[in-house]
Formats: sequence, structure tokens, C-alpha cells
Amino acid sequence: MILDLHLHSERSDDSRAPVEAYMKILQRKRAERALDGIVLTEHRQFDPSRDFRDLEDRYGMVILNAAEIETDYGHMLVFGVNADILARFDFTDVRLPAQEVVTEISRLGGIALPCHPGRPNVGLCAHYESKSTLEGVVAVEALNGGSKKGEDARVAELIRERGYAAYGGSDAHLVSFVGMCATEFDREIRCMDDLVGELRAGKCRPVDFRQRRVA
Amino acid sequence: MEFDRSIIGREYDRADSEAVVAEELIAFAKAVGETAPCYTEDGPDLVGHPTFCLRYRGRKFFPDNLPKGLLGRMSFDAGKDLDLGVPIRPGDRIHVSSCVHDLYEKTGRSGSMSFVVVRFTLTNQSGEHVATIDNRMMYR
Amino acid sequence: MSKTFDAIEEGDELETRVLFLSKDQVRAFARATGVDFPRFTDDEGARKEGLPGMIAPGNMSMGLLTTFIETWAGTGSLRRLGSTFRGLVLPDQEFHLCAVVTEKDEAARTTELDTWMESSDGERVVIGTATVSFD
Repeated sequence: MILDLHLHSERSDDSRAPVEAYMKILQRKRAERALDGIVLTEHRQFDPSRDFRDLEDRYGMVILNAAEIETDYGHMLVFGVNADILARFDFTDVRLPAQEVVTEISRLGGIALPCHPGRPNVGLCAHYESKSTLEGVVAVEALNGGSKKGEDARVAELIRERGYAAYGGSDAHLVSFVGMCATEFDREIRCMDDLVGELRAGKCRPVDFRQRRVA
Repeated sequence: MEFDRSIIGREYDRADSEAVVAEELIAFAKAVGETAPCYTEDGPDLVGHPTFCLRYRGRKFFPDNLPKGLLGRMSFDAGKDLDLGVPIRPGDRIHVSSCVHDLYEKTGRSGSMSFVVVRFTLTNQSGEHVATIDNRMMYR
Repeated sequence: MSKTFDAIEEGDELETRVLFLSKDQVRAFARATGVDFPRFTDDEGARKEGLPGMIAPGNMSMGLLTTFIETWAGTGSLRRLGSTFRGLVLPDQEFHLCAVVTEKDEAARTTELDTWMESSDGERVVIGTATVSFD
């Protein structure tokens, strides 16, 4: 099963992508990017009332709801957001304490994973140059669709050194770029609990669709 | 950074331009690679290129009551949202009303950033809507 | 020749426009818009502001993308353009202007496009969306 674990809809301040438009393009581009679903990771917010069941039924895809938050070790994706997590952390805070985020979110039933770790200033690699290792990090985003030259290579080195599991995401802010990078799972993922379980076990691997174009 | 969100939506400036002349419409259009006659040839059909309106601003770009931490710092244009109304024609006088539309912080490749979104609402001498422009100005 | 609405399908990719953006062109734009500040006209002046060299204004990138889109859709067709300036547009290099039709609204006779500008090394320096209307 392949999911794009990192993308933004028009709810994020710098995206203009309606969720249904993501579904349409994935349907059209199935030969190039064979995804089974997406996980929305809006910037600095989480709306528990979002309901994608209608879209899921119409397009036969999984659509899950997560968040991208900002910490003192860079950005992280939070999967399995629940009321306890929302009560514990203010997602609008751009300086959340990363170690508390990783530890507490895990304790409260979710999982927080560093994203685009090779990116300057907001990636884990930059912070590890001067700060101690975060305890409890299971996986990092090895492939990010918005990476500039050299950033993913930096992450490959991080993964080799630290033994992290790896995942992938498009980081799409435009409809066209959905699924360029994604994550493959051996198990079927039907809900967020399934996803959190597989991520916690590190049972995932990044998939790169960026070079594949079907005439 | 503390933001006084009460400044959002409040007009802080209004200004009127000089009458638009054909030469400036044509010079602009050519500068963005345009060749269509309606944008590049003087005559009754000449109109401004859709993005010609981006040049307009009031007497001041920012309000006087921006958060104190931003005063004196350099800002960068992070992007714009442009909603178009009627085209600009030679002889038009453009009225600009300015307000702060949003304030927020985020972090990115450049580090910590504060954003001020300044909205310009443009109308012509007949009161017709010419454009609404949201300018996302980034401070780092 | 611009496209007719009926001929457009969701997923259509506009033919990429490759353009060489010269420093002189940027200076001409800066003069034409009254923004002939050092960062848009002079490498040394731009470096004093902490930039690697002179840059093209964001408004110019939006102008170039608009010209590209309207060549496809017809003059006067652009209704909305939203852009994020993700990287510096350093002149004296080739840029690729790209767009894809993401949605088509039959009732309103409009299309939504993703549009972006790529530098010669593949970096997407400007990204955005556009709404285009057809008669």
C-alpha cells in the first residue's frame, strides 16, 4: 500500500490545493504514481472535524488527517492527533519543544516524525550539528518532493548514522505535485490507527515517483 | 512576537494615482514579454496587462502601527494573490485602499519569519473594482 | 492561437515556455514599474543588501507567468493569480514557465491551473495557481 504522507490543502497558508483536486489528479496519473491514498499535513493546525469519507468512497482512496508542526529541532509531522495531543500542545506555536513533542505525542497515542530533515534551519540535520540527539525518533522523511539539491543526500547520511527508518512525502502545495514522493507499507492502511502502528514499528519505506512519466 | 490583531482589516491609507498613460501600459507589457496588440499597441483597444495593477500602492506600504519588533527591519516579497476586476485603460485614475489582512509567524529555510499580509483594494474613477492584491511580506 | 474551452481537459499540460531572462530585461521592468532599486538593477547594490546578485522582482515573475497563460487561454482571460516566491530569480539564465490544468468548471466556463517557474537547475522558484475564464 502506498500513501503520500506529507501534503497540504488550501487550509495551509501557502497551498491552494482542494482535497478533491488531489483525488482527481491521482486518478488520472495512476500509471505514473500508483498511490492508494494521501495524508493531509496542514501547517500549524489540526481540525478534527474534517471528514473525507465521501471523497474516499467516490475515489476509492484513503484520505487521512494529520499535521505539520514547528519545533526547536525543525518541522515534524504528527500522525494520530487526538484531543489529548491537542490539549497538550498548541500547534500554532512555532517553537514547540521537540523532545517533549516526540515523547509526549508517543505517550498520548500518536507519533511525531521529523520531516524534510535535510532542509536548512527547519530540518533535523541542521539542529543535530549543535544539539543533542532526540530520544525516541523512529523514522525521518528520506524523500521530500520539495527538496533542493543535496538535501535528500544529507538525509541519507543521517539515516545511515542513526539507524532511523525512512518514509517519503511529496510536501505538495500544488495539486500537480501530489505523490511525487510517497511511502510504501506491506500492510493495508485503512485508518489512522493502522498508520500509526506501522510507523511506530518502522515498517515503511520511501518511494520515488519523480522520474516516472508515462507517455 | 506579539501581534496586535486589532489592526487587521482596518484601512490605514488611501490614495489616488495620476491618470494612466498609454506609454506606461505599453512599456510594462513589453517588459513582461507581451506581444498581443491589445497590450502593446496604442489605440482605442489598449488595456493594461493583467499584472500592471501590481505596481499600485498607497502613500505608504505599511501601517504606522506594525508590531514594534518589525519596525526598521528589511522585508521581502514572499508572494501575492491577485484577484482581477475590470482592466486598466489609458486615462484611468486608480484609487488604492490599504489594510493589513493578516499577521502570522512560521519557520522555513530562511529561519524564523514573520509575515504581514497587506491588502490593496483598487478601484477606478467610476468606482469599478480593478483588483484586490494581497501582498505577503516576510520579515526574518 | 489560444485554446478553446471545449478543447481543454483536466490534466492538460501547457507547452513549457523556455525563456532567457536577461539583466537588461529585468532593468527594463524595474524602470517601467518605478522599482529601479539596487536589488533589481545592479549586482553590487544587491550584494550590499545581502543578496547574491541582482534579482528579478516577484511582480515580474507574475507578469511573465501571466503572459504565458494568456498566450494559451487568450488575452483578458486571467481572473486570478496566486503566487509564492520560493527562491530568488537571478537573471542571465534560462527559466521554464510551466502550467497544468487541474480543474475545469463547465458551468462557469473557467479552468484552474497550477503554474510555476523553474530555474535552469530545476528549482521551482515561483509556484502558484491561476483561474482563467473563457467566453
